[in-house]
Amino acid sequence: MSMISGDKSSTEILSLKSSDNEIFEVKKEVVLESITLRGMVEEDEFSDTLIPLPNVEGKILSKIIHYCQKHTEARAKVNGSEGAADSKEIKDFDSEFINVDDKTLLGIILAANYLNIKDLLDLGCQKIADNIKEKSVEDVRKTFNIKNDFTPEEEKAIREENLWAFD
Amino acid sequence: MLSCKRNVLSQIMKRTKKNKKKLRKKTLIRNQNPQFEEEESAAEEEGDRGEGFSLKSSAPSHSHGVQPLGNLFLSPSTSNSRITGLGNLRILTDELVLDILGFLGGSHLGVLATVSKSFYVFCNHEPLWRNLVLEHLKGDFFFNGSWKSTYISAFYPSFPVLNNGSSDLKVRDFYSDYLFQSWLCASLEMKREWLERDNIERRRGISVEEFILNFEEPNKPVLLEGCLENWAALEKWDKEYLTEVCRDVRFSVGPVEMKLEDYFRYADRVREERPLYLFDPKFAEKVPILGSDYKIPLYFREDLFSVLGGERPDYRWVIIGPAGSGSSFHIDPNSTSAWNAVIKGSKKWVLFPPDVVPPGVHPSPDGAEVACPVSIIEWFMNFYGATRDWKKRPIECVCKAGEVIFVPNGWWHLVINLEESIAITQNYVSRRNLVNVLDFLKRPNASELVSGTMDRTNLYDKFSSAIEATFPGTIDQLVSKAEETAAKQKKPSFWESVTDAKVGQFKFSFGS
Repeated sequence: MSMISGDKSSTEILSLKSSDNEIFEVKKEVVLESITLRGMVEEDEFSDTLIPLPNVEGKILSKIIHYCQKHTEARAKVNGSEGAADSKEIKDFDSEFINVDDKTLLGIILAANYLNIKDLLDLGCQKIADNIKEKSVEDVRKTFNIKNDFTPEEEKAIREENLWAFD
Repeated sequence: MLSCKRNVLSQIMKRTKKNKKKLRKKTLIRNQNPQFEEEESAAEEEGDRGEGFSLKSSAPSHSHGVQPLGNLFLSPSTSNSRITGLGNLRILTDELVLDILGFLGGSHLGVLATVSKSFYVFCNHEPLWRNLVLEHLKGDFFFNGSWKSTYISAFYPSFPVLNNGSSDLKVRDFYSDYLFQSWLCASLEMKREWLERDNIERRRGISVEEFILNFEEPNKPVLLEGCLENWAALEKWDKEYLTEVCRDVRFSVGPVEMKLEDYFRYADRVREERPLYLFDPKFAEKVPILGSDYKIPLYFREDLFSVLGGERPDYRWVIIGPAGSGSSFHIDPNSTSAWNAVIKGSKKWVLFPPDVVPPGVHPSPDGAEVACPVSIIEWFMNFYGATRDWKKRPIECVCKAGEVIFVPNGWWHLVINLEESIAITQNYVSRRNLVNVLDFLKRPNASELVSGTMDRTNLYDKFSSAIEATFPGTIDQLVSKAEETAAKQKKPSFWESVTDAKVGQFKFSFGS
């Protein structure tokens, strides 16, 4: 299955292959959102060749491409100025985009880190942080499957030391 | 790489465990009985010679027993408590976990620290607390031993903070290269062998002509002795005097501005990998008496940027910092040359000529950015050794109080303070490098590269017109002279060769 995004005749198209062998055809300017890929593309002539991404599965890669497309378009609308990221439209898109389950969220973070897409990485990390903020200690443990590995004495000491934070 | 580290690091860990009690004793006794401390450190030195790295005697004990990953292979137990302690988040790297925690506030971190041992270790990571303090308090923080305790004291003043905000809980079975390395770099002292090579040329009492002929023209570094004899600063400048004279004036310290009293309070107590560094380009404007406490050494009196008057780029800085602070590899801005005079303390310098990129340093091809991902101490740990076998060895020295180093334009240099130090540095343009500077300023990407002024793209026009007005015909004269010399040597000008040599300008910030 492949996803054609863009008019082949007017802009260069590159192919990205996920770890589970899904192939995505993406406009070059969208691919360049990733600093990692930018390095690869600029070093060699990759147009017509496949860029394998063995670290990223198709489901996640599809989302990442969607994000990059949206952001490239938004930037083009304001002619590449910095203001693009701040527009309400993009902010709404981002918040809906990142409203996903934890497993997907972690996948996006790892992929954005590997592909070096700073804005997306920040978006993902901020989202997990926001999820954590509202939770109690027990809830954090439940949500992320964390074992309480303190001894009772240790737990008491740590809690006392951080008592100031519990109000 | 990891297997080499394993041996050295596990040796340190054994020593750390042995010395744990010793270290704690030292920190307690330090202020009460200086004699006792001296005996202890002599004894420790004997045992330390030749093996691994030596830790600062005041190394913070809040590493919580974090071990490097290599130790996991050597340990009898096979579990890394990171696995159960982070749960689903364990698939993230340590850096990513810290990135997430970086979006949280102080109270969130305090709560999270009680979730599991792993969270405890991560949430006590000092750089997180440093960011919170600097973000919320800017330069108005009262440093009391650690960033975490500084934060708590400021925002929860009624809460009694003991032991620098974290207990001595030792976490067993927690392995992390990133966190361990961070603690190690904060606690390391400079190894003796990193300080041994001192191959810079030294001169005392030479004439200006000799200096120009032998060093400025050929663009060679030199350490000049005995030319600060008329500096009142050498006698007068110490923490007490400076604090008294500067009072509430604020100086640039990394991302914030601080009063000297507050900065000294921090510098006296801090132990971290990249200490905040006081580096102020307007010190003499802020406190004029400081400007009158020193005089430019006679070798450097020609200062052509002065034709721009108040519009000249930043050109002089006072530099104050604790042991371990300094600057990682960079080339000075605008193709200027520089001199750096130590008033108090001492600095280790490593210099490479313009065409030799130091190991571990990655300038972008256009010269706008220089990536040196490691801190200064980590550079010494990981890359200094490589320079020993190079044909193009660096120039090195330790510059002590009363000495001045001349840093020729285009040279890479790294500086680390070996102890608390106070220095003054100036960048300048003389006839010898005027052509270089003009070439630099008229480069097409001047708007990214030019530094120290708000008016980057016009600097070339302004400067060349001002020079022409004050010294008519000089530019043409120097340009034709340079062209003659270049034709003879068939060498492209330094800046013309930049994209080939991948050497260039930089953007970097201190203390971060």
